[in-house]
Amino acid sequence: MSQDIAVQVTDLSKNYGPVQALRGVDLSIAAGEYFVLLGPSGGGKTTLLRLLGGFIRPSAGRILLHGIDVSEQPPNHRPTSMVFQSFALFPHMNVAQNIGYGLRLRKLPKVEIDERVAAMLDLVGLGDLADRMPHALSGGQQQRVQLGRSLVLETDILLLDEPLAALDAKLRKDMCLELKHLQEQVGITFVHVTHNQEEAMTVADNMAIIADGELVETGTARDLYENPRRRFTADFIGETNIFDGTVTGVNNGEVAVDLGFAALTVDDNGQCPNVGTEVSVSIRSELVQILRSGIAVAADQQTLTANYGEAVYLGLATSHVAALPNGQAVVARHVSTGLALDVIAPGSSVELAWPRSMMRLHLS
Amino acid sequence: MGDDYSSVWSYRLKWLYTLLVVFTLMLPVFYVIYVSFNQNGFGAAEYVFTFEWYGEIFSDLLLLGALGNTFILAGITLAVAVPMGLIAAKFYKATEAKLLTVSLLLSPLFVPADILGSALLVFFKNLNIACATIGEWLGVSWFDTWFELGYFSALVGLIIYTLPYIFVVILITMGRYNEQQTEAARSCGATAWQAFVQVEFPQIRAGVFSACAFAVILTFNEYTRTSLLKGGYDTITSVLISQMLNEGMSEQSYAMSSLISFIAIALIGSIILYTLVQSERLEREARAKAEPVMSG
Repeated sequence: MSQDIAVQVTDLSKNYGPVQALRGVDLSIAAGEYFVLLGPSGGGKTTLLRLLGGFIRPSAGRILLHGIDVSEQPPNHRPTSMVFQSFALFPHMNVAQNIGYGLRLRKLPKVEIDERVAAMLDLVGLGDLADRMPHALSGGQQQRVQLGRSLVLETDILLLDEPLAALDAKLRKDMCLELKHLQEQVGITFVHVTHNQEEAMTVADNMAIIADGELVETGTARDLYENPRRRFTADFIGETNIFDGTVTGVNNGEVAVDLGFAALTVDDNGQCPNVGTEVSVSIRSELVQILRSGIAVAADQQTLTANYGEAVYLGLATSHVAALPNGQAVVARHVSTGLALDVIAPGSSVELAWPRSMMRLHLS
Repeated sequence: MGDDYSSVWSYRLKWLYTLLVVFTLMLPVFYVIYVSFNQNGFGAAEYVFTFEWYGEIFSDLLLLGALGNTFILAGITLAVAVPMGLIAAKFYKATEAKLLTVSLLLSPLFVPADILGSALLVFFKNLNIACATIGEWLGVSWFDTWFELGYFSALVGLIIYTLPYIFVVILITMGRYNEQQTEAARSCGATAWQAFVQVEFPQIRAGVFSACAFAVILTFNEYTRTSLLKGGYDTITSVLISQMLNEGMSEQSYAMSSLISFIAIALIGSIILYTLVQSERLEREARAKAEPVMSG
């Protein structure tokens, strides 16, 4: 087993009675990587994290941390420590005692504990709050204490279970970047669970999408956003238009897909569907342009005729909604520039256009 | 208090009413205390103030022996039933069969004292007969007396009686404890036992101590089961009641009752006072600290 792999999970499953919370997950996380488990609530990502931490026992499969099988080990025998969503500080200990708790368990000399706690307090920016009790801290400060309590142990892997979910939006953004920088500074492996895409994309070196107890797809944030293999990923990340259709021809790396009211030609992206297969084609909403009928478009553009619906102003962006002949809504999203634009009357016929090369084919 | 529009008199009346209720409830105790200082004892026409009966408590061997027995029973009941209640409460939080667990644990509350007492009496008598018979067959006698009425049988009765109260009292404080803290401690490297002792117990300590106080108070209160399972003149309560039923209470008994009441009221009063002062102080500190805290 390579020493560079921090987490190696094979065929991992967890059942709660008849409910399968996690099914046959295979995953490996490189040492020193900031890895994010992203997915909808109830999808199994927290179950996976708790399995890594040793808080629940796998129903099947193995967990190797730095090459050592820990599947049957309790949390205190694993090279992991965990940051919880909230309420996990010890309310009867002050900030310094909370951070020093794990060091006291290791029976280190008091001088060393004090030194390491002081250094950790500085690292997480709580130097002047050492004597505060947890109830006298704000949410952000409490999470910093939790981080400090885990990081001070210098374990190889830090598990973070929705660590920012209880914070307000502004603070979450700041803390996100801070987490990323902290990870770069300490250099250990972070495994971070979240349902928040922006949070995931901010911090992740690599991420995994987990839904319905299955590992859907792994990759970098850019990979998953720009080049999703699975329909679920395309749908879950960002705002995407997805068209379902049938393969009518495969030719030279290009796949022809019939939507019923129109036909698309899309790059096969290394996949080889058979003629007659049900597939999906996706295009990001920010790549879709809305043009008045009759305007000429470049040859590399895919066009579809639609009926304009309405514009929804969202501050940074404006979403334009148009309906295809089969009734499906297509969203085109553009940065609001503040300039007065042509106003299109609802119900008028428009052309939707986007670069052919940016369409993605999904077989599942 | 009340809102700005409510009359200050309605507030005062509520207080007055509360004090009146407490006073009415405590009146019999006050009367016992009053009698205990009377040279001529209960029901005498003439009242002569004296400390004499208090002095005689310590020469009344029956009462002193009963007091000792009561303390021994209370101490052992506490030592056995409180850990049992704690484990039961832990189990209750972990199990999915909560209704079954709570029904089983609280069921002794729904059996009248005399029925439970006499049922246990019959049970122990039969165990004695069984032990004696088996001993005879085997030709040995060393386990003949295992289940004779005495401390052991009285303790079984008391533990069955106090366990539901202890369970509920501990569960109330344990209900507020967040299990995630145990997980946090485990992930810091604590064993399950260290996590319990260092993280959970300090937070449920108040409940455990209340449960201990409950065990002692209930043991002092208990008459029916103890007198059936041990005898009528062995604990303070059984002595007092048996005297009452048979020949009327002795003067020293009034003094002893008063003394116990004094101690109990002083003890519980100071616990309540301490708790109030403490929580007020904590709240003040929290407020003082919370103010300068900035978000972030």
